[in-house]
Amino acid sequence: MLRRLATGLVVLWAAATAAYLALLAAPGDTVDSIIGEGADTPLIRSQIIREWNLDRPALVQYLDYLWRAAQGDLGRSYLLQRPVRDVIADQIGPTLTLAVTAAGLGIVLALVLAVTTRRPWARRVSSTTELVLVSTPSFLIGIVLLSVFSFSLGWFPVSGDQGVAALVLPAVTLALPVAGVLTQVLRDGLDRALDEPFVVTARARGLGERAVLVRHALRHALLPVITLIGWLFGVLLGGAVIIETVFGRPGLGQVTLQAVTSEDLPVVLAVVVFSAFVYVVINTLADLAYLVIDPRLRRS
Amino acid sequence: MRRRSLLIAAVATALVAGCSGSGGTDSAAAGEPVSGGALTWAVETEPITLNPHQYAQAKARLLVWNNFESLLTHDDKGGYVPWLASGYEASADGLTYTVKLRTGVTFSDGTVFDAAAVKANIDQLLADGYAPAVAAVQLKNLKSVEVVDASTIKYNLTTPDVLILDFLSSPQGAIVSPKSLKEAKNLKAGGTDLAGTGPFVLDRYTPGQELHYKRNPSYRDRPAYLDEVTYRFLKESSVRVGALTSGQVQVIEGVPATDQAQITGNPALTLSKGLNSGSAYSYYFNVTHAPFDDIRVRQAFRDALDVDTVLQGVYRGTATRAWSVIGPTSPLYDKTLEGTYGGDAARANATLDAAGWNNKDADGYRVKDGKRLTVRLVQSAPFVRDRREILAQAVQAAVKQSAGIDLRVSVVDQGTAAAALEKGEYEVFDNSRADTDAGAALNLLLASNGAINRLGVQDKAIDGLLEKGQAAQEAAERVDVYKRLQQKVIADDSLILPLYAPADQIASSKKVGGLQFEPTAGVPGSAYTVWLSK
Repeated sequence: MLRRLATGLVVLWAAATAAYLALLAAPGDTVDSIIGEGADTPLIRSQIIREWNLDRPALVQYLDYLWRAAQGDLGRSYLLQRPVRDVIADQIGPTLTLAVTAAGLGIVLALVLAVTTRRPWARRVSSTTELVLVSTPSFLIGIVLLSVFSFSLGWFPVSGDQGVAALVLPAVTLALPVAGVLTQVLRDGLDRALDEPFVVTARARGLGERAVLVRHALRHALLPVITLIGWLFGVLLGGAVIIETVFGRPGLGQVTLQAVTSEDLPVVLAVVVFSAFVYVVINTLADLAYLVIDPRLRRS
Repeated sequence: MRRRSLLIAAVATALVAGCSGSGGTDSAAAGEPVSGGALTWAVETEPITLNPHQYAQAKARLLVWNNFESLLTHDDKGGYVPWLASGYEASADGLTYTVKLRTGVTFSDGTVFDAAAVKANIDQLLADGYAPAVAAVQLKNLKSVEVVDASTIKYNLTTPDVLILDFLSSPQGAIVSPKSLKEAKNLKAGGTDLAGTGPFVLDRYTPGQELHYKRNPSYRDRPAYLDEVTYRFLKESSVRVGALTSGQVQVIEGVPATDQAQITGNPALTLSKGLNSGSAYSYYFNVTHAPFDDIRVRQAFRDALDVDTVLQGVYRGTATRAWSVIGPTSPLYDKTLEGTYGGDAARANATLDAAGWNNKDADGYRVKDGKRLTVRLVQSAPFVRDRREILAQAVQAAVKQSAGIDLRVSVVDQGTAAAALEKGEYEVFDNSRADTDAGAALNLLLASNGAINRLGVQDKAIDGLLEKGQAAQEAAERVDVYKRLQQKVIADDSLILPLYAPADQIASSKKVGGLQFEPTAGVPGSAYTVWLSK
């Protein structure tokens, strides 16, 4: 357990450092990005440099950042002029709600689809739909869903974080491509599991087809899906950027987008470290989930 | 005799309250103003800051005047009218401006508005690291501020500068309660804890989602019609339009050409447009190195382009062509420039031949001494708006076809763009400024030491005209100076290729009345004049 914790900390440090170096290597300096499109005179530059202590060597700034971060001080946003902790804290809730809902919806959809579309014709229809959904930019899915269910039918509001109704369309938009990929993986896993000798044994014991599928084959098919959970998180966070913009939802995605385009270093670093943290947690949970699903792994 | 008469408060009130005149939208369907109701307005841009002193986004200007006011404001003829002031007076030498303040005004946090409060705001603006751009540009000629008595304040300048009036009318010049300046949690970010004197009070900010204002019950004048107004941030134009057509919001701003048919085709909705103040969206030629150090190449580039055709192609007839670097709504605009240049491919080719660019390479581009006639335009992606990257592509195709000029357009991140500008690795710079006084924009763009002088021009004649324009107190004299300046930079020296006048659009349900564009600025106005018919 202690080793896991140490590894986790190293991952966080590595993520922060990598992001720091990447931003350092990016063209243009911090003063330029703070000035943006505005007026640029020596007086303005010198005031900005003084305000943010940018005249120190990069290494000193980096060590100072790490030292403060270790104490929980993530600094102040160059652009928004607010403590990064506040900026992030305001936005984590809506993004987590969206991501968890979309993940849940995607997984349930995938399970239902993979198990119910076993007949050749249903498979073909479902498989084609999944491919289309996976290949369609979520921007487009979002706009189409909005046009139909919000603008034309008026069932759901377009924007904001206003309770369950406003969550439906963004969550569905985010869940559809996820469900597409997961269904394909699950179906493939089911196919392989059904070819295994233990299925013949189960059938020989007189189990019905449904029971064989759900109780035995599905369990085997789930393992590769668990492996995909790390990927799933990446998709959800990346997708949130677009979904939040299209639906006018608050969230980390919008904050990240703005911070990256304006090279708002403190916010970018915080988002990177936070993402790495969630990654570590989710992968740890995935490892534990293997043990629950596959008894064979518990012995070793 | 350059003394300005002291304006009477009553006249001012009438002007400010009744400024719906020419800038108003079609609100006949909404009938007479009625009080009450809650309005939802979808806007494109979430402001970076809610502190007016830090204001830097023209797209956020429509929010500022809901809860803040400045000492003066613009009328629609390029003049100024008192707002929180009751009148002002300039000394004959143009070095002192004495402003009389309204009495009996309080900020929404209960603090009294007086000369001391105004001085506290100036002191704050000049504080180190607080608003460097304001201190370095708008207040660069301010020597000191004196409180004469509770309702009189004096601005002393180091050199005559009529733009001080523009500052007094600007969001950066808005007066914030000195108490809240001291107590605000994140002063530069602003928020609900900054108090102003405006007709609304900001009572809720949900980052990434919306701003919510409620009526200021103790407003000194006619209270706002609306009980409350919510500005919702919807970045996607198609989503804004959809939200309006489905009745989820009553007003939207920012309707690009591609979406305007959906509004104009709907009998329940109305669309109106306002041209922005400041400088036109223009291409600035970098004269510090070849090929644009040669005036003939600059002339040829302008002649090679038929601006009207390109604008029609990109904006479907919704864009207003610009002929000068100054926007056409400005009183300083020189109308005589219209139709005097451009759109003459034959002349462009003849000029380039004469300038020595008389060979063509295999790709059809002109060559001189083995070098292709290549010019680079670097656009910074976060600041690209109005489909300017598409416009650049259209210009690229046009100048290649008509004159064999190789315009290389790259849309890059901000850092890369800043680095390219720093190193002079560009030949074309594109920009528009939304300053309410075009002179302020030109000071930045054209002066030898200008903060955005990407032309690289160092010209004593231009600097002299800019200084004169800044010092001229008589309107007619100013117009004349800026006319000479425009003749010089546009007609004589071909330094700039003006393209279009930036505009804002408001689309709304016909149940909404009183929507207007702010006089002079040409951006959507505040919600003060707006009502919702029952």
